[in-house]
Amino acid sequence: MKRRIAVLTFPGTNSEDETVRLLRDCGGDAHLVHWSRADMLAQYDAYVLPGGFAYEDRIRAGAVAAFDPVMDYVIDGARRGKLILGICNGAQILLEAGLVPGTGELRRPTAAFTDNRPSGHFICRQIYVKLAVDPGRSPITAALPPDATFPAYASNGEGCLAAPPEHLRELIGGGHVAFLYSQADGTVDDAAVPNGSALGCAGLLNVEGNVLALMPHPERDGWNFQHLDRRIGDDVLAPSGGAVLFRSFVEAVDR
Amino acid sequence: MPDGTRPNVALRSDEIERIVERLGREPTDVELYAFDAQWSEHCSYKSSRPFLSRLPSSGPDVILGPGEDAGIVRLGEHAGETYAIVVAHESHNHPSQVVPFEGAATGIGGIVRDVLCMGARVIGVADPLRFGRIDVADSHQRYVARSVVDGIGAYGNAIGVPNIAGDVYFEEGFDDNCLVNVVALGVLKESEIVHSAAPPGAAGWDLVLVGKATDESGFGGASFSSVTLDEADEDANKGAVQVPDPFLKNVLMRATYRVFEALRERGIVAACKDLGAGGLMGCSAELASAGGYGAEIDLDRVNVAIDGLPPYVAAIGEAQERLLWALPHEAAAEVLRIYNEEYSLPSISHNARASIVGRLTTEKKYVLRQGGKTVMDVDIDVLTGKIVDDLPYVECIRHEAASPELPAVDVDSLFPKILAHRDVCSREPLYRRYDWVVRGTTVLPRGAADAGILAPVPGSRLGVALAVAGNPRYGAIDPAYAAEAAVLEAVRRVIAVGARPVALTDCLNFGNPRNPEQYGALVSAVDGLARSARELGLAFVSGNVSLYNASAGGRSVPASAIVSCIGVTDDVGTAILPGLKRPGSALLWVGSRELAAGGSVLADVLGVHASLPEISYDAERTAIDIVRSAMATGVLLSCRAITDGGMLVALARLAFDARAAGRELGAELDFGNPFCEAGGFLCEVSDDSELNLTGILKIGETIARPQLIVNGSSFGISGLHQIWSRPLEELYP
Repeated sequence: MKRRIAVLTFPGTNSEDETVRLLRDCGGDAHLVHWSRADMLAQYDAYVLPGGFAYEDRIRAGAVAAFDPVMDYVIDGARRGKLILGICNGAQILLEAGLVPGTGELRRPTAAFTDNRPSGHFICRQIYVKLAVDPGRSPITAALPPDATFPAYASNGEGCLAAPPEHLRELIGGGHVAFLYSQADGTVDDAAVPNGSALGCAGLLNVEGNVLALMPHPERDGWNFQHLDRRIGDDVLAPSGGAVLFRSFVEAVDR
Repeated sequence: MPDGTRPNVALRSDEIERIVERLGREPTDVELYAFDAQWSEHCSYKSSRPFLSRLPSSGPDVILGPGEDAGIVRLGEHAGETYAIVVAHESHNHPSQVVPFEGAATGIGGIVRDVLCMGARVIGVADPLRFGRIDVADSHQRYVARSVVDGIGAYGNAIGVPNIAGDVYFEEGFDDNCLVNVVALGVLKESEIVHSAAPPGAAGWDLVLVGKATDESGFGGASFSSVTLDEADEDANKGAVQVPDPFLKNVLMRATYRVFEALRERGIVAACKDLGAGGLMGCSAELASAGGYGAEIDLDRVNVAIDGLPPYVAAIGEAQERLLWALPHEAAAEVLRIYNEEYSLPSISHNARASIVGRLTTEKKYVLRQGGKTVMDVDIDVLTGKIVDDLPYVECIRHEAASPELPAVDVDSLFPKILAHRDVCSREPLYRRYDWVVRGTTVLPRGAADAGILAPVPGSRLGVALAVAGNPRYGAIDPAYAAEAAVLEAVRRVIAVGARPVALTDCLNFGNPRNPEQYGALVSAVDGLARSARELGLAFVSGNVSLYNASAGGRSVPASAIVSCIGVTDDVGTAILPGLKRPGSALLWVGSRELAAGGSVLADVLGVHASLPEISYDAERTAIDIVRSAMATGVLLSCRAITDGGMLVALARLAFDARAAGRELGAELDFGNPFCEAGGFLCEVSDDSELNLTGILKIGETIARPQLIVNGSSFGISGLHQIWSRPLEELYP
């Protein structure tokens, strides 16, 4: 029996269709649920918050959406151990809701995703993401090989993780920094970071490991046809690249 | 009137006389404003219509030619359904010159609605841009060049439509008038097209206005875009620029997709139209009259942002993010529920909503009421009738082909200058502010190749390619030639990525039509477009005309017929991917190699005037056939259309793309004038033995080192890349 995944939209979400599509192509039973039907969320086993500009990113990306009544259901699900994946704007909402890193009070963010450094502008760029913790640290990453590196897109205006230095040390020490920006070969360096994010952080896990906030978009490099370096003969419609993370998530949901 | 004076309209006295004569009485103030919008150049195409009919508009792939909000072409079959691509092309020049961020953003908003209201999902946009000189610090031109790009990004990114193609030129001729053209694509099944004319049997149907609360923004927009900009009026004109709201549009689009679905489920054929020029009045009058109906609108039912809006603003204001449905009454309740409850428009933006504002009538009159009073009551066909201005024009003198007078070309010193030229250098600093990958359908993103490609039908290999072209340096010399060259370049760009061209669109950006020379340039350009399209067997399926792109002093922009070409492919897996592929392959120049430098980057760098290349359509067709057959046989490894900067720039870009993909490749070649822009393709082929070598010149081969060795001069790819990639970084940090 497949377990059901809700892809939750807010007013301003823009990446819901491709997120549903890639989850399904990776074997997940994914469905769109709009904010106006929050009451339906309890019926789902896992939640994915896709990218976009929820509530216009007023105040700061994710800040308003974090207080939407629908987040009560998401927070409740997180406490019950449901698996939750936030991508880009979804990651910003999870952070603003205090679900990651999960050391502070809910809806009292301890860090923020802020304006990209150094440009201060929206940026669209293909990047690579490297797993920075033991795969077993979270059910969501459990099916990834150690040091897994996959392509994705950074497309954001506010992707720079900012937090006080002592808190950044906590994030590292507590195994919260799950993903780093890297080069294609897995090398981690400053040039790989598209937005000045602190520590080169691309993704954060909560203490329990059931909530992942990932800033870049794996679904924008998740099928062969999206790879500019694909080989002749590859099935262009087959999931690949960033799909590795979606597969691992779907496997964890169904496990 | 705000101050009790007569309406401030752009209608000429002879036009007002015509209105009095047709109505048989003096128009009311509201009527005067309505005719002002409806008879503006922007709405009526009064000076261009007679010539636009010269453009070919039908063909085997055309499902819907010009006439509605967007054209439609066949994409292909998938799972037993015929899929189609919707395409619209527009300008938002005047607003972008005055209020660049909002003006450009509104341009994206408008074009997206044109595609949406045909029943389509919006899948991609492109933005051909023309800016003035950007080397003057703190100048308005620099501010325009930066803010327009920010506006396009802010809007397109928020609604979640990938930007997959576009171009930009920076030329002195655009110092006073920038050009912001936008193209949008949508996808739908052929059976799902929604038309903008009320269908048979629609008498008594409800007119449902959806979206943003009407306010004073954008009042007089159509008529403002139909006059020459005068700096002194700039502040006054700002009020005519609409205020964009991409956040509301995001939700409005998604709600409208749901409405399409709901109507299809119930088998209801309805009509939908975007509110553009002329606002609610223009939209409802055109929707009704196109179906042979009249319309009655109760302005008290229009959702407004501020109480007490005068009737002419409620009716004619061009507040953004609105569209109009004509629906049978029994379907209206469900449509209102989807917009107002399921997608909660009223809680998204102040007083945004869907509401029934009027109905279609059998009597062919257009009636507006407010506060129980009739404020407008005219014959609808007079209001929406096709008016024509028969203006005098001077036939453009075709540019004489003179013998080229070029100094000897020194590749060593010229190549770096040409790579760093403002019209050649990397556009990435500009377009990296755009989202090119949202929706997860992008096959070739912005900047990766000569055209963008999308796989718009989930689960299918069908692909659509889009490219734009229009070289203003040609336009300044010969409008007809520039138009022909724009068609050819757009077509070549689509072919270079492995797609089959199926349709064209155009945006004609010209000066004041009342100036016989500028009007003559428009007429010549249309003839050029028609000639080129006919020679290649392609149709124009939609387009737009933007006139009065001239300064108060009368200086007009270079003749700018900007063309976009739509291509299709049955299998996106066969798209030609960026970059040189392997060492030892042959480099071929396919197509015209006539040594003529007129209008080229080379001529600009050298500061010389030279003749324009001759166009030989036989040579063009042969070149296209060769490239397409090389693709079909699988020997074509990489390909670029030869455009600004010439062959060597095309080669450098293939080497840059290979490097980005981790392939350290270069090339060694010998060729007389590697900066010639006469057209054609640069191709990397694995084996040239099967190709018919007529029209092909082998110019060299690829090597396993990151170097370009040209006529004995050697350049490192990495150094060239630095020269090419940096110039625009200062403008777009």
